[in-house]
Amino acid sequence: MFTKILVAHDGSEHGWKALSTGLSIAAKFGANLHCISVREKLPVYAATVGEVMEASGEAKAFFDDLTARAREEAEKAGVPLTVKILSGHEVQAIIEYAKSGKFDLMVIGFMGLSSLYDRIWGSTSQNLTRLSPCTVIVVK
Amino acid sequence: MNEPALALGMAALIFAASVVSIRAAVSVAIVEIAAGVIGGNFLGLHTTGWVDFLAGFAGILLTFLAGAEVDPDLFREKFKESMWIGSLSFLAPFALAVLFCYYVGGWSWNASLIAGCALSTTSLAVIYAVLVETGLTDTPIGKLIMAACFVTDMGTALALSLIFAEGNVYTIVFVLASAALIWLGPRFIPSLFKRFGNRVIEPEVKFLFLLLFFFMYIAKLGKSHAVLPVFVFGLALSRYFRGNRDLQRKIRVIGFAMVTPFFFIKGGMNVNLHDLAANMGLLGALFAVKMVAKIVGVYPVARKYAPEDASYTTLLMSTGLTFGTISSMYGLSAGYINQTQFSLLVTTVILTAVVPTFIAQRWFEPEPPGETYIFEAIPENAPKEGK
Repeated sequence: MFTKILVAHDGSEHGWKALSTGLSIAAKFGANLHCISVREKLPVYAATVGEVMEASGEAKAFFDDLTARAREEAEKAGVPLTVKILSGHEVQAIIEYAKSGKFDLMVIGFMGLSSLYDRIWGSTSQNLTRLSPCTVIVVK
Repeated sequence: MNEPALALGMAALIFAASVVSIRAAVSVAIVEIAAGVIGGNFLGLHTTGWVDFLAGFAGILLTFLAGAEVDPDLFREKFKESMWIGSLSFLAPFALAVLFCYYVGGWSWNASLIAGCALSTTSLAVIYAVLVETGLTDTPIGKLIMAACFVTDMGTALALSLIFAEGNVYTIVFVLASAALIWLGPRFIPSLFKRFGNRVIEPEVKFLFLLLFFFMYIAKLGKSHAVLPVFVFGLALSRYFRGNRDLQRKIRVIGFAMVTPFFFIKGGMNVNLHDLAANMGLLGALFAVKMVAKIVGVYPVARKYAPEDASYTTLLMSTGLTFGTISSMYGLSAGYINQTQFSLLVTTVILTAVVPTFIAQRWFEPEPPGETYIFEAIPENAPKEGK
C-alpha cells in the first residue's frame, strides 16, 4: 500500500514515536523510509562570528545525536533508513521535500519541541497535515 | 533610579532579549539594542558609570573577538582581490559619509569623521551567518567576501585609532607597548596557558582580560583608542584560538553572558526615538550615502574579481553592525557626536545589517554548491540487517 514513507522528526518525544510508527509501517510494506529533520535558521544579523559558530555547532551536535539514535532504531527494526537534515523553515522544507521525493505517506508527531508556542501560533503538525501532498499519519 | 534598580532593569532586559533572540532566530545583539531602546525611551533606564565602563570594555572584547575570529590563511589565499574590494569598501563610504555629514548635514569635522568610521564598516558576522546558512563559506565567492571584509574592518580600526589620536609622549608608549604585546603574545601565551590553563578558576580568561585592560589603559594614556591594537592582537592569536576551542568558547560564554549585553543595551538606551522621528530625512540620506558609496566603491572591482556574483558581493560588503556600533559609541563617549547624531548613526548601522542582507538573499543569492542537506545516514539501498 505504501512504497515511500517520510517521517518528519524534530527530536521531540512525539517525533520519536513518529519514527517508531514509520519503521513499523515500512517493515510491514517493505517501503523506503526517509527521516528528515529541519535545522531552523541560524541567528541572523549576528554581532560576532562566534555567535553563529556556536549556534551552528549546537545544532550540529543535536542533529548528530538524533541521527545516531535514529540509525540505531532503524538497525534494530531491520529497516533501511535515509536520514537527512535540511535547513530553513520547517513546514516549507518538509513539504517541499515530500513533494520532490514523491512520498505516499508522511508520519509526524502530534506535538513538537515547543508546545506552548504551538498552542499560541498553531502547530507545525496542523500545517503539515494541511499542506502535505500525501496521506498523513499524526502520532499521539 | 538607584543602581540596584538599574541593574535589575538591565538584567531583566538582557534575559528577555536572549529568549526573544532564540525564539526569533535573530542575533541577540540586535534584540539587545532594541531592548535598550525600550528601556531608555519608555522605562526610564539611563546609563551610569559602571554601565559605561562595562560597555567600553565590551567594545574592546568584541574587537578582540573580531580579530581572533579572522582566518589568516583565507586572507592570504585571496590577498589581491580582497585588498582591492576591502580597501574600496572602506574608503568610498568613509569619504562620502564624512563629506556628506560635514557639508550637507552641517556636523562638526570630528562628528563627520565618526560618521565616516561608523558607515564604512562591513560586518563579518552578518556575512558569515548568511554564508553558513547558504552553504557558501567554502566557495571561492564566500572566501573572497570574508577576506575582503577583514580588510574593511582593518581600515575602520586604523581610522578610529589614528584619526583621533592626540600625539604626546604617551602615544609613543601606546604604540610601542601595543606592538610589543602583539609580537610577544603568540609567543608566550600558548606556553603560559599550557602551564596554568584548564582550571576551574580560569587563569587564561583572566590573563586575556588583563591584557585587554592594559590595552585600554595605555590607549587612554596616549589619548587614542585601543581598537586597532586589540583587533591586531586578536588576529595575532587567531591561529592559537582556532586550535583551542575550549578557550574560545569560555571567552564567548563569559562575553555574551556578562559583558557584551551591556554594550548593546547601552547603545539602544542612547537611541532617542524623538530625535529619530524628527530626522527621518537625514536617516534615509545617511543610509543612502552608505549604500551608494559601497556600490560605487565595491561593484566595479567586484565585477572584475567575481563577475557572476558582483551584486551579491557588493550587497554583503554593505552590511554593518558591530564595528559601526563601536565607532558610534566611541564618538558619543568621547564627546565627538551628540545623542541625536548617535541615534542616527546606530539606526543607520542596524538598517545596513538588515536591508542589504535581505536584498542579497532574496534576489542575488548564488546557487549553493551541491546538496542542501547536511547529513545523510543509512543509504536506501543498504542491505537490511538481520535478513
